[in-house]
Amino acid sequence: MGFIARILLLGAGLVLVTAVAIGGLWYKFSQPAPVPILDLQYWGPGKEKPDITTIKPFKVNVSSEVLDDLRDRLDLLPSLTPPLEGANFRYGFNTEYLQKVVQFWLNEYNWRARETFLNSLPQFTTHVGGLQLHFIHAKPREVPAGVRVLPLLLLHGWPGSVREFYELIPLLTAARPGAGFVFEVVAPSLPGFGFSEGAAKPGLGPAQMGVLFRALMERLGHKEFYVQGGDWGHVIGSAMATLFPKSVLGFHTNMVFLTTPLSQFRLLLGSFIPSLVVEPEHYNKVYPIVKNFMYILEESGYFHLQTTKPDTVGVSLRDSAVGLAAYILEKFSTWTDKDWRSLPDGNLEKKFSLTNLLDNVMIYWVSGSITTSMRLYSEAFTKQYLGLQIDSVPCIVPTAVANFPNELSYTPKKIAEDKYRNLVQFSHLPRGGHFAAFEEPQLLANDLWDAVENIRKIRFQSLSKIKK
Amino acid sequence: MGFIGKFLVFGAGLALLVGAGIGGLWYKLSQPAPIPKLELQYWGPGKAKADDITIKPFKINVSNEVLEDLRDRLDLLPPLTPPLEGANFRYGFNSDYLQKVVQFWQNEYDWRSRETFLNSLPQFSTQVGGLQLHFIHAKPREVPAGVRVLPLLLLHGWPGSVREFYELIPLLTAARPGAGFVFEVVAPSLPGFGFSEGAAKPGLGPAQMGVLFRALMERLGHKEFYVQGGDWGHVIGSAMATLFPKSVLGFHTNMVFLTTPLSQFRLLLGSFIPSLVVEPEHYNKVYPIVKNFMYILEESGYFHLQTTKPDTVGVSLRDSAVGLAAYILEKFSTWTDKDWRSLPDGNLEKKFSLTNLLDNVMIYWVSGSITTSMRLYSEAFTKQYLGLQIDSVPCIVPTAVANFPNELSYTPKKIAEDKYRNLVQFSHLPRGGHFAAFEEPQLLANDLWDAVENIRKIRFQSLSKIKK
Repeated sequence: MGFIARILLLGAGLVLVTAVAIGGLWYKFSQPAPVPILDLQYWGPGKEKPDITTIKPFKVNVSSEVLDDLRDRLDLLPSLTPPLEGANFRYGFNTEYLQKVVQFWLNEYNWRARETFLNSLPQFTTHVGGLQLHFIHAKPREVPAGVRVLPLLLLHGWPGSVREFYELIPLLTAARPGAGFVFEVVAPSLPGFGFSEGAAKPGLGPAQMGVLFRALMERLGHKEFYVQGGDWGHVIGSAMATLFPKSVLGFHTNMVFLTTPLSQFRLLLGSFIPSLVVEPEHYNKVYPIVKNFMYILEESGYFHLQTTKPDTVGVSLRDSAVGLAAYILEKFSTWTDKDWRSLPDGNLEKKFSLTNLLDNVMIYWVSGSITTSMRLYSEAFTKQYLGLQIDSVPCIVPTAVANFPNELSYTPKKIAEDKYRNLVQFSHLPRGGHFAAFEEPQLLANDLWDAVENIRKIRFQSLSKIKK
Repeated sequence: MGFIGKFLVFGAGLALLVGAGIGGLWYKLSQPAPIPKLELQYWGPGKAKADDITIKPFKINVSNEVLEDLRDRLDLLPPLTPPLEGANFRYGFNSDYLQKVVQFWQNEYDWRSRETFLNSLPQFSTQVGGLQLHFIHAKPREVPAGVRVLPLLLLHGWPGSVREFYELIPLLTAARPGAGFVFEVVAPSLPGFGFSEGAAKPGLGPAQMGVLFRALMERLGHKEFYVQGGDWGHVIGSAMATLFPKSVLGFHTNMVFLTTPLSQFRLLLGSFIPSLVVEPEHYNKVYPIVKNFMYILEESGYFHLQTTKPDTVGVSLRDSAVGLAAYILEKFSTWTDKDWRSLPDGNLEKKFSLTNLLDNVMIYWVSGSITTSMRLYSEAFTKQYLGLQIDSVPCIVPTAVANFPNELSYTPKKIAEDKYRNLVQFSHLPRGGHFAAFEEPQLLANDLWDAVENIRKIRFQSLSKIKK
């Protein structure tokens, strides 16, 4: 064979190999992973003990010593390095503005009044998996005749807490005219966050937290329930819907985040053939890939650190109240609107009051839970946890996604449907960012009511078809 | 042409394209970038002012208030979250062991005597580029007849300080029998570190620091000098050697780190054809790429956070002495030997005494410089700084590399030579990690003496050739 013929043959071979490879990759990534079986484990210190299943009422009641100590720390704050000229929020929390937050904290913020407010929702604790779990349990005050009470598990994330739900919960437990149902809300503090005890043993990742929450709901008499979550609440809720399709009646999320090989592969293909992936009106939320990737890089330093060394940075955050406030509140600015990084105060008080923001910081401070909260990042990225491949297991539970415009990332419907095989609702809300429940409780509530309405309608239709 | 014929031609075209692509890429990446021109700028607050060029003697003398405040803070440390069972140093600094460090700090560490020790080397300060720079200036006590005194600029990194050089400097300023030279050492605190003032304006990256240091050396009467550095000291020294080949007689480094497109491309090719890149005996230091990449990912959380949000985490580190200690000392364990992450105390005191380690922490604490020190990371990764492409500019200054076995990364000689075109020495030391000067001062000193001996020999040979 001549030289040219050999080159041609080699080239043809290369093309064939590439095409087969792409096809093979697509096939491989599309293979659903098996559903992992996860049992209830013991996460407390030392040897395993049986859980004390009593449910005790709980009230937030911080000692005077803790408050005096906090006051001393705020007073003893050393002079902070001033921001670089023109930096605003682009190198992180602006220390000039931080001084104003500290002044407010010292002179205006009244913890005892906030405690009363926090205790306005009924709270309890109980032992699950060896850990003392704290939770809000809010039942509807009035249930009109014929209206079903639906149990709803509400899951917060980081650096949030149950505080994010205080404006949302009343919108869920109040009956709506014309609606055939109303919600009974169970909102736990994630293990290691706020007043929920943290694990003493390694391995408590999002799916394992889901196992604990399912046991909690069962203890409260709910074998079947709805789940709503964003941030880690999304990850945990998604794991629960995936692992326990018989327990989860419906899953509502305000932050889908998929990094499976298939989703990444599709995203990449979509930069060549967008119609494979996203509708034209949502194209700019996803592409160009590099621009989105750079934004994620700029904003994920904390994520990278907490995934690898939570205990190191946890020391200074446990020992410095103002440091903790800066670390947490930076997110409430940037994740609500990333353009606010160009403003001297990060526009922090545009959508949230300082009082409400400090409520959340205080929950971390008085419980000393910052380190245990950050460990969730490490536990979600161990070899063992990633080996469960939960994101690659199809979720057949009816799912609703609420897309808020300033959320950190956007997953197109076509990609979400690879995972959520029963996607019944996929909304685009007019405003709001990452902390949707805290920032836009009415919008989130409405979307959740709509979603559950949809899910129940579809279920009754299938049931009536079966009966026929 | 039949279908198969068309397919073969298409394939051949593709093969040719790929081949041309690789060749073209190699060619493009090999193009040296032009030498940027950097002038002395004003970095102080407000409008540019002329520098006060007086050189003032400096002694460390911390006020009693600062020491009492520190004592109070150590006493007021709240109970820290215990480590997860079996965690050791794998989630970061172990808080059980940290309590022991705090005990030592409170009861045994004597700052006043350490001050005396730190003042045993002559120190000065002077204003350059609007910033008050602190530096050690150590001259040889005795200069035998015929021995040349060579000025040496010694550059530390993060989270280090000039403290790393106290055991090294006497080994450089003491004449050696048979050597035709001895060193006069200038060791500045980097701007924003320790007792050197930090910039008020954004933009002070490593190369810009190099401009300041060149001006400093000139003010001290040295138009030509040698440079030694590791960590950021390497980056700054490398920039100086690249930008000012007429000023830098020789550059000695203990940490080459290149991430130019060419070096990454070569590294990738080397995973297929190792002989293109690394000698067999050093293969395991570089490959497999994925293993090294995973290690870098595990250890670069702090890097990612400081590059993007230094001011946020800087608040808690400024406000918590123990938090600062944990954050800094974690590196002295892990970067000295990464296997120590599996030990309950991180083997922190194996190669360093707690006293010496706390000297370095105290320099950050008493100067309140942690935030300004971390900003160096942000400034080195701005669009503008990366646009200078300094790593892609060839360095023609005689260069020596000392490879310590436990350094964080290893750059093979062939790849180093893309950048350092005049590589006169490339050693492999028998022991030691990232903090080479602090951990193995004798080994580093010997290698530096050898390097300068080599550089001078080569220069005299060229000069005598010219004369002929």
